[in-house]
Amino acid sequence: MNRAVAVARMQLINKWTFLGIPALILLSSFALTLAIWAMIPDTAEGAKYSGAGQAVMWYFFALGLQSMSLTFPFSQGLSISRRNFFLGTVGLFAVVAAVVSGLYVVLGYLETATHGWGLNGQMFALQWIAKQNGFMQMFFYFVLMMFLFLLGFWGATVYKRWQATGMLLACIALAVVLVGAVGLITWRGWWPAVGSWMAAQTPGTTGLLALGLAALLGAGAYLTLRKATP
Amino acid sequence: MSTPIVQMSNVFKRYRALTALEDINLTLNQDKIYGLLGRNGAGKTTLMSILTAQGFASSGHVNVFGENPYENEKVLRRICFIRESQKYPDDFHAKHAFKAAALFYKNWDNDFALQLVKDFELPLNRRIKKLSRGQLSAVGVIIGLASRAELTFFDEPYLGLDAVARQLFYDRLLDDYAEFPRTIVLSSHLIDEVANLLEHVIIIDKGKIILDDDADNIRGSALTVSGTGARVESFIGNRTVLHREGIGALVSITLEGQLSAGERREAQELGLDVSPVSLQQFVIRKTLDAGAGLEFDAESQAKQTKKATRMGAIR
Repeated sequence: MNRAVAVARMQLINKWTFLGIPALILLSSFALTLAIWAMIPDTAEGAKYSGAGQAVMWYFFALGLQSMSLTFPFSQGLSISRRNFFLGTVGLFAVVAAVVSGLYVVLGYLETATHGWGLNGQMFALQWIAKQNGFMQMFFYFVLMMFLFLLGFWGATVYKRWQATGMLLACIALAVVLVGAVGLITWRGWWPAVGSWMAAQTPGTTGLLALGLAALLGAGAYLTLRKATP
Repeated sequence: MSTPIVQMSNVFKRYRALTALEDINLTLNQDKIYGLLGRNGAGKTTLMSILTAQGFASSGHVNVFGENPYENEKVLRRICFIRESQKYPDDFHAKHAFKAAALFYKNWDNDFALQLVKDFELPLNRRIKKLSRGQLSAVGVIIGLASRAELTFFDEPYLGLDAVARQLFYDRLLDDYAEFPRTIVLSSHLIDEVANLLEHVIIIDKGKIILDDDADNIRGSALTVSGTGARVESFIGNRTVLHREGIGALVSITLEGQLSAGERREAQELGLDVSPVSLQQFVIRKTLDAGAGLEFDAESQAKQTKKATRMGAIR
């Protein structure tokens, strides 16, 4: 059997981590949101929004951290190459992310069809996204989840290789770049242009941007992992 | 007859201010039990990490099954090395760890693993995080034994195991080895306990190999002569003395080499007691000798210890 596939199966040995907990988060956040909506009196103003749909996505960030920091040392004990560990783990995650994205799109359609679950709520079919076609929606969710997962995975790899010092330096470097960018924009008076650029973003363009960042993170994580020790 | 499967030449491992391994040259042959002996921090785990491509050498060549092991699945799939401080996924129970091992080792014997679980009284349905030190060691020992990898490393496998469990491990190891010969490297600082298992002994101290020889040669390479002072002294003449200790008029001297039949008779006539040196005594003597040159410089010694601990912490 291909050893990268075996890595994916190893990550799934404890069903809770990759399947049970995300399902639980999705169900409970959905149920709680419905309960809250039911308590809010209907107004003519419009739909009731909820950001609870994001909950699962944030779990994927933690999952990226965990699958690296805890499973990598064990995989080394079983003499699995770093490459196969990376392929198996990220591959499994891509499958999980694709399934969850599909689920979001379907739930979004259901939400619209049932007039916000009969409560005029909006949790999955947020207008900005739901206006797009099904493929574009799925692409957007998928890329966003991959991005969060790889962000966690990359962070854990940096920590594994350079410990707290490396993590601190990476965070400081990132902060310097961000502050520098803000400074540059302010200095050149680019804020209006930035504002209109942001307003012009569609799920498609944001998705592409996240895809680029995710690819960058993935490549960075792999290169860092190549020399990481358990 | 003996097929080399591991070769290390001129391997160095340097950390910023510490040389963890210095010019290691080593050959391991197929189907043999090796003892990798040395004090804590001597470089045993570092050496095994490099052989299994879990760690990296600063310079030098490593060859396992004829190839560089780094990222080389062809080589890696034949190796098992559960380290003493092995980490397991947080949510894993022992049974999960065995399931995972079964995915990657084609010779994995599940019945054998279950038998060992029973022997070690290991709770299968408890998080590994919550296991005692001894039970944690048992998880590693079971993976190492049941995987039946062609090259298996045991890194201080007995930590926290009680005397009964340790004996169980040694017995199971020998039984299984007899049935499925493979190359086993047992790292240990409890030397007397494993002495009878070992066919070949490698002693490492402060990152250097100070002895690499067959266990039988070592057992015959030194002996202890004891009796009253003057008689012992005159008997040993100008032989190489490894160690000398005395209580009152009695002295006990460890000599390098062997005695001829004639010399043995002579010793008997003089009323001297001749006894073989235990492997543990031998290792202690060798290690202390190797370190003797440093002792005059207490300050540098203290520094060395400090660094060694730091290295241990980041490993």
